[in-house]
Amino acid sequence: MALLELRNVKKIYDMGRDIQVEALKGVSFSIEEGSYTAIMGHSGSGKSTLLQIMGCLDRATDGDIIINGTAVKNMNDFQLARFRNKTIGFVFQSFNLIGNLSALENIELPMIYAGVPRAERRKKSMELLKTVGLEEPAERGHHRPNQLSGGQQQRVAIARALANDPAVILADEPTGNLAVNQWRRILDIFKKLNESGKTIIIVTHDPLVGEEATRTIILEDGSIVNDERIR
Amino acid sequence: MEILMEAFRSLGKDKVRTFLSMLGIVIGVIAVIIAIAIGAGTTQNVTARISSLGSNVIIVTPGFSGGFGGRAASVLTSVLQETDVQNIQNMAPDVGTVTPILQKSFNILYQATNTVATVFGAYPDAFSILDLPLLSGRLITQQDEQNYANVAVIGNTIATTLFGNQDPVGQTVYVTAGNIKVAFTIIGELQETGGKLTFNPDNMLMIPYTTASARLIQLNGGVSQILASAKSANTALDAVSEINNILYMRLQNSNQYRIISQNQILSTISQTTDVLTLLLASIAAISMIVGGIGIMNIMLVSVTERTKEIGVKMAMGATRRRILGEFLVESMFITIVAGAIGVGFSFLIAMIVTYLASGLGLTVIITWPSIALSFGVSVAIGLFFGLYPAYMASKKSPVEALRYE
Repeated sequence: MALLELRNVKKIYDMGRDIQVEALKGVSFSIEEGSYTAIMGHSGSGKSTLLQIMGCLDRATDGDIIINGTAVKNMNDFQLARFRNKTIGFVFQSFNLIGNLSALENIELPMIYAGVPRAERRKKSMELLKTVGLEEPAERGHHRPNQLSGGQQQRVAIARALANDPAVILADEPTGNLAVNQWRRILDIFKKLNESGKTIIIVTHDPLVGEEATRTIILEDGSIVNDERIR
Repeated sequence: MEILMEAFRSLGKDKVRTFLSMLGIVIGVIAVIIAIAIGAGTTQNVTARISSLGSNVIIVTPGFSGGFGGRAASVLTSVLQETDVQNIQNMAPDVGTVTPILQKSFNILYQATNTVATVFGAYPDAFSILDLPLLSGRLITQQDEQNYANVAVIGNTIATTLFGNQDPVGQTVYVTAGNIKVAFTIIGELQETGGKLTFNPDNMLMIPYTTASARLIQLNGGVSQILASAKSANTALDAVSEINNILYMRLQNSNQYRIISQNQILSTISQTTDVLTLLLASIAAISMIVGGIGIMNIMLVSVTERTKEIGVKMAMGATRRRILGEFLVESMFITIVAGAIGVGFSFLIAMIVTYLASGLGLTVIITWPSIALSFGVSVAIGLFFGLYPAYMASKKSPVEALRYE
């Protein structure tokens, strides 16, 4: 069974004065559990819009989205927030860590929203720090984001995305702000996560990043122009 | 719990801003507490002074009608009569003791020293009604009264003026006015009492009523004032109305006399100080509201600045209610801490004022209700003025908030 399914999803932005922009022109595809998919396209192709809709940050104008067996369409804001919290893990291009929280506290944030008890949170966030290879030295967990390098920040962000064991990781240009040596490391982490069974969807314009995935969906002007399984 | 820690963190990030936004509330809380404290202190001072008169005291004075003012009227008009005193004694069941008073200013002469004092002629009961304690010697007795005795009890201030450190008891003074010159033997000296409402015993020479009316103040059966005491505090109001009925029956004009009771003065004064306190406190409360608007301003700026953070938190699964809560906790944190600081500083300021102004008779009494009130209002302000910014934060669209740079 598909983990995530899109059926004829459309997104129309109303720009005012009767000007409408159709960012997605009826997109349909499904993502299997445990797959590693790259959604590629030039800027303006609609790939970011697609990611936002898959991530329940935004609502589609038309069409159905079914994630983990649940139709997202009829959910209210509260249900969407719960859904983002438990089912989806976001990784952003600019890391988006909360500046006045330590690395560990950032990782704990989704668990706080999920109501996980304090001791359990701390234990889990330590484990996750290990998963992304930041367990040494021990004090790093207490560093603020501005005391960490870009690559380290992104690894903390990945750990944060994993906090509530989401069904799917959505990454938006995760290597876009990183130097080449850091970049490799991030992709390795994604690969390892996928190998351990996580479903991963990466949005990127970079073919090198896309190569890592087992499936590439190419968007152009709001429509899928190519969908190929590499392995 | 986490929500509190987080509020603490984000407020700690910009300490200067947090401090400045607290300042309005801090000042407001201090102003309200101190205003009420000064009001309470003044009330207590005045009340203490009036209560020192002795409870249940009732004073009847001539009214101010006929163009005579205050003291001149009380000496020159013979509105109040000795017969009134007898009628009150016989017909007012709630009045305990009553005495006529004859009083007038005279020169008092001792050897070569000369001073002006009020000669106060009254029955011996006056000492107990006004609660006047002796320093030395004895008080005037019923015997002195019957004998038209030329004896006097001297007030503390004039005793010092005339006799210095010498004991006045047993000395002779002369009361003079025009060609009148009467010798009095001092039989007692009063302790210093301070003002007793309309009287100042420290500057009085107290003599038997009979002596005063026969030798010094001839009013043809008229009296300067009538002094009475109610049988108990509970019956004081009844006593006042009984006296009023008796006087009105004869004079048929309530403007010709005035009845002053301690209760009535206390309630008048407490009403006045209550109004003044309320006025001061309301002005102070305005500064709290201004402080609240300042907090709303800061919170709105903070919400805009942290738009991206709000977007990230929403993406991580924070519900709108959670975002609302976070900002609300922040604004309430500001006002709660500001309120506490304000309360603390109020105590400090009260101590300083009490220390500096102890000689001026200014008393500052911080009352618990004023603390509860101002602290409560500051918390309410945090809630009220924090609500709109927090609502704005919670209403942001996650996509747009994430896009914000």
